Amino acid sequence: MSKFIGIKSLLIVMAVSALNTVYATELTDANAIVSKANLVAYYAGNDGRSEARMLITDAQGREQKRQFTILRRDREEGGEQDFLVVFSRPSDVRNTVFLVAKKPGGDDDRWLYLPGLDLVKRISAGDKRTSFVGSHYFYEDVSGRSITEDSHQLLETSDKYYVIENKPLDPNSAEFSRYIAWINKASFLPEKIEYQDENDRVYRRVEVLASEVIQGHETVTKSQVSDLRSGGITTLAFRFQHYDLGMDQAVFSERSLRKPPREWLQRDE
Amino acid sequence: MGAKITPRYWLLITILCTFPRYLYAADDWGDDAWGEEEKQGTAIHGFIETAVGDRVSDDTLVDDELSLAEVRARLEAETYQGALRLSGKVDLYADGVERGFDIYLREAVAEFSLTDNVDVRAGHQVLTWGTGDLLFLNDLFAKDWVSFFSGRDDEYLKAPSSSIKVSAYGETANIDFVWTPVFNSDNFISGERFSYFSPQAGTQMAAPRGKIVPDEPSETFSHGEFSARIYGRSHLLGRSSTEWALYGYRGFWKQPNGINSNNQAYFSPLTSLGASLRTNVASGIGHTELAWYNSVDDDGSNPLIPNSQIRFLMGYEQELVPKLTLGVQYYFEHILDYDALSAHDGGSIYRPDEHRELWTMRLSYRALQDNLTFNWFSFYSPTDQDYYHRPSVKYRFNDQVNLTLGGNVFGGKQKQTFFGQFEDASNLYARLRWSY
Repeated sequence: MSKFIGIKSLLIVMAVSALNTVYATELTDANAIVSKANLVAYYAGNDGRSEARMLITDAQGREQKRQFTILRRDREEGGEQDFLVVFSRPSDVRNTVFLVAKKPGGDDDRWLYLPGLDLVKRISAGDKRTSFVGSHYFYEDVSGRSITEDSHQLLETSDKYYVIENKPLDPNSAEFSRYIAWINKASFLPEKIEYQDENDRVYRRVEVLASEVIQGHETVTKSQVSDLRSGGITTLAFRFQHYDLGMDQAVFSERSLRKPPREWLQRDE
Repeated sequence: MGAKITPRYWLLITILCTFPRYLYAADDWGDDAWGEEEKQGTAIHGFIETAVGDRVSDDTLVDDELSLAEVRARLEAETYQGALRLSGKVDLYADGVERGFDIYLREAVAEFSLTDNVDVRAGHQVLTWGTGDLLFLNDLFAKDWVSFFSGRDDEYLKAPSSSIKVSAYGETANIDFVWTPVFNSDNFISGERFSYFSPQAGTQMAAPRGKIVPDEPSETFSHGEFSARIYGRSHLLGRSSTEWALYGYRGFWKQPNGINSNNQAYFSPLTSLGASLRTNVASGIGHTELAWYNSVDDDGSNPLIPNSQIRFLMGYEQELVPKLTLGVQYYFEHILDYDALSAHDGGSIYRPDEHRELWTMRLSYRALQDNLTFNWFSFYSPTDQDYYHRPSVKYRFNDQVNLTLGGNVFGGKQKQTFFGQFEDASNLYARLRWSY
């Protein structure tokens, strides 16, 4: 009898603490949710590599492709990080290299290497919300928008998502008046983002089409941007993703622009 | 007349027959294997391009009305043998202006690391450094002005040279050292495709009579070219990284602007030292560069050899509105020992000004998902009162095919100035390229 009660009370204790855990992880602070989502989407591991392919389709159904490898290294979790993007296709952008030192809250340093001229061109931090290599993705979609540029409000908590409304602190800094993000409650991956204009009309959508857990990190393997005004769509597939490779800061230097670091670009089968 | 129509007609036929079938040829990724086929073997790429350019006005000294008429096939191959990278690029082209077929070696290099921090790049290669946009102070690697003026792709402005480049990388600074054993001059305006002004003759000259055939430096070790750059990044201004560089060069002027005792043009010796800075300024990019060209004419009294010069550049580039970027540069060349020059050149009316200033402007705009790009680059000299405009528009039909239309428009108040002399070289061109 006492043994039965003992098990029963143990079960109750477990159930209560499980409930506590659920309530504890059900966040209510929009800023906390957004900063966790930012870490999941852009800061997995201390560094990472991924191969990427874009299929750009315009409203007339004409297609273009881009293929590149991205190397990333975080200087600080949630803060500064470096990206190196090396293009392999199509042939007119082959061996073009793009280097970014991302500085949330400041101007990024950006360089482009044009192999035909052996030219290292510095490009202005400028507008990060313009097309990334002719696709419907923006530079900012690839390297991440600084979370301090928007105000965040939790609109709704559903079974699966935190629904967050984000408004730019400086309305002139972005083409949207707000965007709504559906952040997966379990993985904290932003699975859908819809951008609205000043008339609250959705004109742009970014969606995760597939993800998988790689080295313990929920990782997007396929995503899509729809430009609802023009009817254009870009899908982006990632493969050969690895984290915590132990890349050195020197990988993100002028040396790598002229001589891409094969050690990290090469596939490790 | 018939001879002139032929290449043009032939090019037109080529354009009409060869290209439309590729215009919208694009498939989806399908079962494509993420480029795994390239992993082991050799990557082969290239393009086929047809280009035609026509003078805006007649140059009575040059037979050809066309400034550009060619079909060009580029083959590029790249492979890795362990850590050794081998890359080759070669053009085969039929030239309707110079009437013939030719082979042009663009690149043939071997690249490897000597140690963890030292890279070597040896062979026929294009080399570039410095901060200027189409203005070169410390970049004394060869340029191809004929290609630039005639409307070939911008890539051809930088001519390849057979060199060995050794790069060493450190914590705070990096060093590049380039040795070009045999002097490699610019592909300068020699009078063949475009005429030029000769201060000696006091008139415009062109081939065959006025073709410049300079005396080349002999092929000895001491007549090679030595270039060096020490550079790095540091945080001088806030969080932005500032790129700094120091440069040195020992070789020859890249244009044959000396006259020897046989009254023949030659490349007189030149050493230069310089420095540059480049960083984020406001919401754009600022750069500045300085060079001291030290000529062999020590006191500046020999009018047949260029005097020493100070060259200075500063520039700023910013995105004005999304997709529209404006770049502005200010540049000057200051001739040193000018009094000695003016005292010894017999009062030449074609003596260059002591101080030559130049402004440049670049406007670029991207539209239609970056498939359409407009570019306008202008040089304007308030001291020489001459200009050079380079408008162009490029449309990318798809990943394989693009069309570029553009112009090279020169003019000036006087016939002997830098750009003014090329007034009759002004041209409009079109290039259609299929990449594979």
